[in-house]
Amino acid sequence: MTLVHNWHLGRTMEYPYFESRPEHQFAAVFNINRCIACQTCTMAHKSTWTYSKGQEYMWWNNVETKPYGGYPQHWDQKILQMLWDNGNNPMEWFTSPEEKNETTAPYGLYNGDTIFELAKTKGLNQVAVGYIPDDKEWRFPNIYEDTAASEKTNYEMGSGADKESSELPEHKRWFFYLQRVCNHCTYPACLAACPRKAIYKRKEDGIVLIDQKRCRGYRKCVEQCPYKKPMYRGETRMSEKCIACYPRIEGKDPVTKGRRMEARCMAACVGKIRMNGLLTGDYKKPDPKNPLDWLIHIHRVALPLYPQFGTEPNIYYIPPRWAPRSYLRQMFGPGVDEALDKYAAPSRTLMAVLALFRATQTVISRFEVEEGPKIYESEVMGKKVEVYNDTAIGFAADGTELVRIKIEEPTWESDEKRMVTY
Amino acid sequence: MLRGLMRKSVFLGSAFVAMFFLCSGEVFSQSLEQEATVEENIPTEEGLTSTYVVTDMDGAAEALAKADSYKVDLQIQDRSFPNGGGSVPEVEVSSIHNGETIFFYVTWSDATKNDRAIKHEQFRDAVGFMFPIGIVEISPRTPFSPRMGDRGKPVNIWHWKADWERDLHADGNYEHMEDVYPDMFTDFDFNPHPDYFNKKVHDSVPLMAGGIAAGSLLSTPRGRSVEDLNAIGFGTLTSQTHQDVNGTGYWSDGKWHVMIYRPLISQDNNDVQFVAGQSTFFNMAVWNGEEGDRNGLKSVSIRWRPITLEPIAYTK
Repeated sequence: MTLVHNWHLGRTMEYPYFESRPEHQFAAVFNINRCIACQTCTMAHKSTWTYSKGQEYMWWNNVETKPYGGYPQHWDQKILQMLWDNGNNPMEWFTSPEEKNETTAPYGLYNGDTIFELAKTKGLNQVAVGYIPDDKEWRFPNIYEDTAASEKTNYEMGSGADKESSELPEHKRWFFYLQRVCNHCTYPACLAACPRKAIYKRKEDGIVLIDQKRCRGYRKCVEQCPYKKPMYRGETRMSEKCIACYPRIEGKDPVTKGRRMEARCMAACVGKIRMNGLLTGDYKKPDPKNPLDWLIHIHRVALPLYPQFGTEPNIYYIPPRWAPRSYLRQMFGPGVDEALDKYAAPSRTLMAVLALFRATQTVISRFEVEEGPKIYESEVMGKKVEVYNDTAIGFAADGTELVRIKIEEPTWESDEKRMVTY
Repeated sequence: MLRGLMRKSVFLGSAFVAMFFLCSGEVFSQSLEQEATVEENIPTEEGLTSTYVVTDMDGAAEALAKADSYKVDLQIQDRSFPNGGGSVPEVEVSSIHNGETIFFYVTWSDATKNDRAIKHEQFRDAVGFMFPIGIVEISPRTPFSPRMGDRGKPVNIWHWKADWERDLHADGNYEHMEDVYPDMFTDFDFNPHPDYFNKKVHDSVPLMAGGIAAGSLLSTPRGRSVEDLNAIGFGTLTSQTHQDVNGTGYWSDGKWHVMIYRPLISQDNNDVQFVAGQSTFFNMAVWNGEEGDRNGLKSVSIRWRPITLEPIAYTK
């Protein structure tokens, strides 16, 4: 075991390999608030990569309903339970200003055990604590769809049920959709778990892949990835996982003329909740003009999924505004309150970057904002919100302008005559 | 004063060197392996004798049954991470050769027959033989790691797999998903020919399967139940491009019976070669699929055991 720095946890942690960050890191931001669980991403993935025999149950991309849903069933509750039952200081965060650091510890300090540390202190025959989900757990990818959690029953609430249960800041009756793909972690547990070093993380873009020549189907990755994204394919007796559509990320698709292209599940998103791209490799020097760097490192409105697992996942989420904060803090760490404050009353730059979500399927490496007039003013949760009709411009890595989009969507009104004709 | 300084620097230097060696185990080791014990490099006194028998392939099984069996004690694999196995305490092995082919016959008790590895939670039963490559002497002075060899000291591993054996008897010499999940395409449909509607799914398999594209023996019909492998230490196991070992096995009454055979001399530099009248060493491992045994989770015979081939007796 060596010591590596995990900036999600704000500290060094134990990992079987030395810290070796890629030059760029495949990453994405998912805005949970916008998701309607149409599963277009899921089907885009499925029809591209896993429509073949032995992959029937495989959904490298899935959207599940939280808190009850999960694919495989109860994956997160199970891992959390392991950390809670056996780990030191489970889920303990120190978030005072002196524990924080702009770049190396933006959320504070996590004092509990990660999945790696727990496996080591317990002397388990695993590198990271985990389990292999059985057939039944994989079988219902969208179990508990739209099932809400509620503090009280309808009967207990009486006539004011709808009002009480759907008032911000926290709904009393709630659920939200969680969009999940492989996190292409900086410290992948699947990679650490593989005794054959068949799993590798690419230096150029941080994509984590299983070498199908080296894999011998031991299912250690299936067992020890906390997000349960490597999956065993009985047909070929070996494991497969999300490949981040790497030919597209490399720019091999002719449509984008050699420029990097978003992964299939990202590009297919109808709700425009996703932005896919590459993070600057050095997390200490985020590029303020890279939209993902800005959302994650600088504005910190997008948060990692279960940072306490310790793998430094690279899919980031803008948390849902209506869900109970305690649940969100467990899921996204202590950065939740800051992120939600910023999202509820968005800054001009945030509005501009959000407008760039899904505006093009070429990866946006740089954005600019051109200022426009003020168009709207309001108050959200006691905070003043001003909206300006700025123009967001997205550029490809080679400097080509990809997209130019206004905050206020241009509309066209038909004249009366036409209305009558139609 | 200069002399004093020199003396001091020699002292400090040697202290530094000593500290370096003392700490290096902790600081520089990325591996989770235990130090090799002396006994690992002391082969056992008694060993297996491969009796010379005049027989052809068909008579081999009968001759093997008559040959003296040799008990190999197994133990939990506790030398290296992930430390596991140990559910099979011993195997009985016997061997014959006919001057052309060497045969091994192994039996061990296993209450459960695990001959599939298709579901997520299914693991196979298996047995492995390990031989050093080349003519080697094994002693504490000339160590040869029983932990699947070492750099510059490769081993040849013969790995019989229960699910490969089952594959051999399946249609097309390979078991598919539908053999485990017979209703996978048609839970509620009584069409007698459901596969027609899933033709595309069937046809897409070679294209959409990394294992098949990579040419892995695991993913394709390989026409044998024993894999011929090489290794130079844990984690380096690699399937050979030229497969020379064959075998067969069956399970009955809580016991696996496995026969493995190969020509004494193969045409492959990466294989162990047997010479009648000479001896080499072997080590064994058994995997119990029911216990989730795979890779380092296995029951192993730690010490090398000699195997001696009887000289060919020429009859008049």
